[in-house]
Amino acid sequence: MTGTIHSLWTTAADSATPLDKIPTPKIEYAQLSPVLIVFGAAVLGILVEALLPRRSRYIAQLGVSVTGLAAAFAAIVALAADGYASAKSHIAAMGAVAVDGPALFLQGTIVLVALVAAFTFAERRLDPLAHGRRVDSFAAQGSTVPGSEQEKRAVRAGFTTTEVFPLLLFAVGGMMIFPAANDLLTLFVSLEVFSLPLYLLCALARRHRLLSQEAAVKYFLLGAFSSAILLFGVALLYGYAGTISYGGIADVISGTAKMTPALANTTANDSLLLIGGAMVVVGLLFKVAAVPFHMWTPDVYQGAPTPVTGFMAAATKVAAFGALLRLLYVVLPGIRWDWRPVMWGVAIATMVIGAIIAVTQTDVKRLLAYSSIAHAGFILAGVIALSPDGVSSVLFYLAAYSFVTLGAFAVVTLVRDAGGEATHLSRWAGLGRRSPLVAAVFAVFLLAFAGIPLTSGFAGKFAVFKAAAQGGAVPLVIIGVISSAIAAFFYIRVIVLMFFSEPQPGGPSVAVPSALTSTAIAAGVAVTLALGVAPQYFLDLAGKASVFVR
Amino acid sequence: MTLAAGHPGFMSPTGVEIAFVLVGIATLGAALVTVTTKQLVHAALWLVVALGGFAVEYLLLTAEFIAWVQVLIYVGSVVVLLLFGLMLTKAPIGRSPDADSGNGWVALVVAVAAAATLVWVVVDAFRSTWVDLGGAAQGSAKVTGAILFRHWVLPFEALSVLLLAALVGAIVLSKRGAPARRSLLSKSEALPMRGVPSERKARES
Repeated sequence: MTGTIHSLWTTAADSATPLDKIPTPKIEYAQLSPVLIVFGAAVLGILVEALLPRRSRYIAQLGVSVTGLAAAFAAIVALAADGYASAKSHIAAMGAVAVDGPALFLQGTIVLVALVAAFTFAERRLDPLAHGRRVDSFAAQGSTVPGSEQEKRAVRAGFTTTEVFPLLLFAVGGMMIFPAANDLLTLFVSLEVFSLPLYLLCALARRHRLLSQEAAVKYFLLGAFSSAILLFGVALLYGYAGTISYGGIADVISGTAKMTPALANTTANDSLLLIGGAMVVVGLLFKVAAVPFHMWTPDVYQGAPTPVTGFMAAATKVAAFGALLRLLYVVLPGIRWDWRPVMWGVAIATMVIGAIIAVTQTDVKRLLAYSSIAHAGFILAGVIALSPDGVSSVLFYLAAYSFVTLGAFAVVTLVRDAGGEATHLSRWAGLGRRSPLVAAVFAVFLLAFAGIPLTSGFAGKFAVFKAAAQGGAVPLVIIGVISSAIAAFFYIRVIVLMFFSEPQPGGPSVAVPSALTSTAIAAGVAVTLALGVAPQYFLDLAGKASVFVR
Repeated sequence: MTLAAGHPGFMSPTGVEIAFVLVGIATLGAALVTVTTKQLVHAALWLVVALGGFAVEYLLLTAEFIAWVQVLIYVGSVVVLLLFGLMLTKAPIGRSPDADSGNGWVALVVAVAAAATLVWVVVDAFRSTWVDLGGAAQGSAKVTGAILFRHWVLPFEALSVLLLAALVGAIVLSKRGAPARRSLLSKSEALPMRGVPSERKARES
């Protein structure tokens, strides 16, 4: 706690101090450096877009993005090594963000995910040459009408949308602030900072552009709706506590805050707190795609360009669960008896409905979308544990899950036919005979999703369910295991389809990727196996990083 | 909320209060004309009066910052957007009797219900509370600015990043770069096409 409660009420009350000079706010630039580096790289990317000739932009953008993300990761490691994850953890930037273990762990995960995603964004060897030029997965020009002459002209002219790299970096920066946000205003602003670029990226697919634009509009409308709900919840919580800093609200809830007449008036009735807390949590559950707030997920995952889907599925989940953890563990532990039963219900519904609907899917991207919903349910089981083990298991699960997802969507980009990616499951029949390596890699990811031992999925699920059981949620664990079994059915079904059925004549071909996508997939496989075979080191790391600062 | 010790009469008619009520009546009248007039442009212009009236009310309540925000955002941009919308969609200027959707009565019921709820909530919440406007400044631009640039400096800067991202995104989605020989195109080609491409078929059920 910095000791200052930033309330308009209290600050106005002691405004006897002259306001002619605003005291300089104290900003710990070194501890904010990871976020600042990423935003700096994004701004640099925009300058590249403005100043460099069209031909050299692609290389420059890739260089700026990769360098920036790598530097940000180095800064995070340096901060963690300096003890900011444990002993020196504190609240920085005038109470706006926390620099502590969970924040640094999640920021590190997000930056690594973004680094790998940047490689898949930059892939240019999958599509056939268009007018003698290599093209990536993004529309030549977003404004052209799909299928029009104008679009063909833009492709012929060799336009590319290299702005996706700065947009990616903006999203990453917002995602890095999101789990570290230490007041509700920063939470809301960072939510918008990472959502807006994602809406835009969704609309920029080169193939199936109508689907892509539909996905973007849906995502934007539902996202705006959820932001509004979150903002309303913030207003109600402010009405209850008279402050929007996490520590301040927690103090008011636990009754340790200094009582003033105004505060006594508002805290006499809990309904503001309960409704406000519920609305903020609903806003976050939208972002993690928990049932019943999951409706946007399949459409958006299917319509967005596949590299964007991979990034979004992995990194958004990490950021949103990080924020949810901090909210539930720092702000609302005082009313845990009120929210735990509700979260139980949400977790059960998410696991069961995600797994059951996934069984009926016939499109790979939609299948992975429903699988991500089911996984959100498993992670929620760990969140509900409300113990240090719960935090560390969720951190581990998020790191493991994000790389599996990223790798799986990267493999989806490889299986192609004349119309672009062949995502219908029937087209994947016999893939194992045609290109055993790609099918085997995808099988590894599917086994990790299913939670088979020796993959990261097993270690993650085991940790989460163990924490949940120790937290007294045994029925939840039983339901979780049952829905894992249901989910395993359709993962195994895809594997059987790939390896034990006859290839279709005229089926899709497997594109040979450049080193970029290969690196991404290899990173996914390596992390999946490393976290599966030797999870202990990473579990310890997550365990050390599991204490929230207040 | 600073509660003053004394409790002045509930409706003591000071000059400010009389002005407040008069401006309120004018605002209400402008709002009524806005929704009843048959001419779209007139409706937009009466909306300016109604929203401007709100700004004056805020000023009378010493919330000068909110008053200027109201002028900048609502009077300044929302109404201008509205007028631009009328202009760009080539909506008829003048009386448009066929623009009535026939849902007027439903809208009236909803509006009255919403107004009744709001009035009831405000009256119930602040029944006899007396806020001393002459006390410590709360809504002034000075206090707001000092807090914004001291305590909320990081969210503020993050917002500027958000605006930058939105700007870039808007350009990405709407930019129409001219390929080299744009001028040679016939006019019909340059117009956006309205046909529905076959891509829809690829849509999974």
